[in-house]
Amino acid sequence: MKNSILKLVEEQNQITSGKLTKKQGELQKTGQNREVPKFEIGDTLDVHQWIETGEKGRLQVFTGVVISKRGEGSSEMFTVRRIVQGEGVERIFPIHSPKIAKIEVKRSGQVRRAKLYYLRDRVGKATRLKERKEKPTTTSKSAN
Amino acid sequence: MPLGLLGTKVGMTQVFNEEGTMTPVTVLQLGPCPILQIKTPEKNGVPADGYHALQVGYADKKRKQANRPERGHVSNALESKRKKKRNPADIPKKADCEPQKYIREFRLDAPSNFEVGHLLKVGEVFPDTKAVDVIGTSKGRGFAGVLKRHGFGGLPAAHGAKKVHREPGSTSSLASNRGSGRPKKGKKLAGRHGASQVTIRNLKVVKIDQENNLMLVEGAVPGFNGALVMVRPTNYKS
Repeated sequence: MKNSILKLVEEQNQITSGKLTKKQGELQKTGQNREVPKFEIGDTLDVHQWIETGEKGRLQVFTGVVISKRGEGSSEMFTVRRIVQGEGVERIFPIHSPKIAKIEVKRSGQVRRAKLYYLRDRVGKATRLKERKEKPTTTSKSAN
Repeated sequence: MPLGLLGTKVGMTQVFNEEGTMTPVTVLQLGPCPILQIKTPEKNGVPADGYHALQVGYADKKRKQANRPERGHVSNALESKRKKKRNPADIPKKADCEPQKYIREFRLDAPSNFEVGHLLKVGEVFPDTKAVDVIGTSKGRGFAGVLKRHGFGGLPAAHGAKKVHREPGSTSSLASNRGSGRPKKGKKLAGRHGASQVTIRNLKVVKIDQENNLMLVEGAVPGFNGALVMVRPTNYKS
């Protein structure tokens, strides 16, 4: 069992990281809190990542399939895979990172594995996933 | 020398820093530490302890588990034959708290403004400290070989080496130690490793939580979770 004090620290960290910074808020023109949608392995996501460039910042979108999720609490990470110019690219994001402005679920895939590493060995049409019927609901990150 | 605090190592986790990147942190629970005794070079013109220091305690102990000296050290109320014989004016004021599990001293350069019995909190001891030194007891490794204990490279895995892959190698020769033929004093050999006092200096303070008496420092600190640590503002000069 995890230490109660450690849990407390992680929860506090999660709340602070859930708040958008001032610059991000201006760019997004949305509320103060970052929404983390519930997504599953095999879903296709749009990850809006905050790129700091000097005075200003901009958002970069990385679209791909979630092939793994690991960790728990504030240190939870997920891996997104996409094909760029015939080359597989994988990026690992912390779910609660303050650098992630928004995560959008584009499409949910039906899979039977928790880790889709087998997609690394496939190319072209074989990488497609069957679409899942029911839609996952969104939950606010700072709900607790 | 600045004042510090006693506490326990809670454990490690990760937090996001201002840049939005993850930082590995160790959570320390510090204090509240009652001041048990104030040491001064001299008292009323009579030489006393010979130096300035604050003696602080950490973590309450059950009264029935504490012995009489431990109970008497924190309370004026404990009756004793010797105390009755003393002049009441000579008996120093005690902290009036529960017996303490851990008692440590912090040497000071100048007399402090605190009084005996004051509960030291994280916020007042480290108001805007950027970095701290953490003193703890490292994890005991038992009887460890030279590779683990001294970082020796070991002997080859092949090229004729047989059954000696983790041995220390040659310890002496006929000519070693000025021809005595004996190993030099201080030759690094296998032995007890760890479980000794270790100071990690210049650890960055990430956050101080006054409400829960917590301090988050960047990086690792010696010892196991739940171990006693001594924390003081760093004396590291870069």
